[in-house]
Amino acid sequence: MEEKYLICEDSMEGIFTGIYEAYALREGHEHVHIQIGEEENLRLFADYVHILPDSVKTDKVVRTLRQKLGEHVYHTLCRAAASCYADKGEAVYKTVVDAITAGSGRRVLGNFKNPYVARCFELARFTANEAHYEKEFIRFQELSAKAAKDTPILFSKIGPKNNVVPFVMPHFADRLSIENFMVYDEHRKLFGVHPAKEEWYLVSAGEEFDLRELTYSEKEEEYQELFRVFHRTIGIKSRENKHLQRQMCAYRYQDYMVEFQQK
Amino acid sequence: MLTQGSESRMDIRIAPQMSVMDKLKILGDAAKYDVSCSSSGSSRRNDGQGIGNTVAAGLCHSFAADGRCVSLLKILFTNECIYDCRYCMNRCSNDVPRASFTPDEVCELTMEFYRRNYIEGLFLSSGILYSPNYTMELICETVHRLRTVHRFQGYIHVKAIPGADPLLIQRVGYLADRMSVNLEMATAEGLRAIAPNKHRKTILKPMRQIQNGITENKNELTLYKHAPHFCEAGQSTQMVIGALPESDYQIMSVAENLYDKFSLKRVYYSAFVNVNEDRDLPALAGGPPLLREHRLYQADWLLRFYGFKVDELLTEKRPNFNTAIDPKADWAVRHLEQFPVEINRADYQMLLRIPGVGVKSAGRIVAARRFGNLTFEDLKKIGVVLKRALYFITCGGKMMYPTKLEENYIVQNLVYQNRMGRGEKLPFLPDGTAYRQMSLFDSDTWGQNYRAVGG
Repeated sequence: MEEKYLICEDSMEGIFTGIYEAYALREGHEHVHIQIGEEENLRLFADYVHILPDSVKTDKVVRTLRQKLGEHVYHTLCRAAASCYADKGEAVYKTVVDAITAGSGRRVLGNFKNPYVARCFELARFTANEAHYEKEFIRFQELSAKAAKDTPILFSKIGPKNNVVPFVMPHFADRLSIENFMVYDEHRKLFGVHPAKEEWYLVSAGEEFDLRELTYSEKEEEYQELFRVFHRTIGIKSRENKHLQRQMCAYRYQDYMVEFQQK
Repeated sequence: MLTQGSESRMDIRIAPQMSVMDKLKILGDAAKYDVSCSSSGSSRRNDGQGIGNTVAAGLCHSFAADGRCVSLLKILFTNECIYDCRYCMNRCSNDVPRASFTPDEVCELTMEFYRRNYIEGLFLSSGILYSPNYTMELICETVHRLRTVHRFQGYIHVKAIPGADPLLIQRVGYLADRMSVNLEMATAEGLRAIAPNKHRKTILKPMRQIQNGITENKNELTLYKHAPHFCEAGQSTQMVIGALPESDYQIMSVAENLYDKFSLKRVYYSAFVNVNEDRDLPALAGGPPLLREHRLYQADWLLRFYGFKVDELLTEKRPNFNTAIDPKADWAVRHLEQFPVEINRADYQMLLRIPGVGVKSAGRIVAARRFGNLTFEDLKKIGVVLKRALYFITCGGKMMYPTKLEENYIVQNLVYQNRMGRGEKLPFLPDGTAYRQMSLFDSDTWGQNYRAVGG
């Protein structure tokens, strides 16, 4: 039988719409595949179908997954779908097939013998770990307020490999509920925005966002310097171990952290 | 809480012209030998009125040049001290610059660092200013102001000052997430020799009080859901390692007792650094005993998460850990009668005892076995460290490679792997101070350790 490739958009919505369409084909799942983005080397005996993301279909898939597989599995699938690797679409799709069609249900994530489930687990773990690191290493900078009575805005720039902003925002929305803050993912040009005491949302910047336009508040530099000094003094000289420091906090995070920028 | 009089009395002691930056330099430096920096154990959502929440797993916000995490703003309230403990940088006989924060300065620093996501909360310790009660009152005032005036809901770790009034300790307990009292030395004699003003009894008293407070609070919380929490994240303590000739067996027995009888959340071990160059304390030419500290932490984890008892790991006759291999592998090679373990059948408790299998991978093995027999390939995906586990396990009745189930053979292989840098991941550089290469001509103690393993 001919292989069928569903080409989906690189987003959670794209992948879930792809899964909906794959089930709608009713051709079994062995020869159907989900692919993210265009293929460079087209296969000879394969059928390529372009799928546009659709919010109604996504909602249906999400509802089914939550009902049948539970929140834990659903969140794991979401994390896998936010991964930076291109095989995520296929991994998520085949994991859903294992759970719903093959019947492993809520216990699907234990099925390490299925290579797609194992891959899905791996991708989800990478995203979860990175989201955890960003919760730790995000550094907010206070922007100067336009008017004196305005509450200041906290701004943070990050450069994660996976799309972690949606997983990081709920944490900060709870923690800093009375603050205005923004998290900016410079690779995806994506903003997570939280106005004080309101719900948070995502905004795509579209084009390059010029950070040089931002001005910081007067106190900002002072507190950065205080933290730099604290960070320097808290280390014990006779135990110095840069290797361990780098292992715990990789250079790619250090680039965005105030205490590692020498002034 | 503080009367006007006592505040002005404090101002005389504190040089008011000193900037917050200078104070932070002195008091951050003075606090760095306190090990505990965890922010785990309490889980609280924000109430929408102030800033902050706490996460059960804790968050480390940065890592200092020594590779230790910076989770909390770890400072002393003051480094003035009336005590003269030999190991301590802030002892009264030392001529070091002295400084004290005011409660407002601590609050402001905490709030501003916290909203920039530099820290997870505050760790407040202190030297003894005038008396334990006076100091504890200052700490209490600071934490109270932080919680009520600034409505801070993040993590707070406070040191209980031994000898302070139980009422003050109780009051702080209702404001803080974690409290700790440092045991300092594993034995009472050791403490007497090294810290003439401290006594084992006065240290254990607040520890017991906090333990009882937590138990009572748990009972209250089952009755009244909204009762205030008392030290939600439990209490911890720390011991200095390598200042006195205590054995690992003594240290671990004390730790086990603290876990069992005082229901502590954590015991920290701190490799001794001779900051004062005191002539009665060891000089430790090779730097602080980091590898020993590492082995103690590994054993500590075995006690808390792997169901081991100290008497299984060490005995009177064999009182120290083998530094060449980790305590779990060390236990396994001396109990080869229980191995090899069949991965597809062994119960969870036994899986936990296999070197190279951790709490997470043991859980995953149990979950994955429901779908069919596991192979070595599957174990690799699950996260089992096969280079250590392969000597101790079978999958479907077969071992991974033909190996001998023999103590000398396994130890040699594990040590060889470590030496080649392919084995255990140690948190030190290969040329690090505490990491020693094994050689035939090494010192006596090394030889003893090795013979003890070799049988």
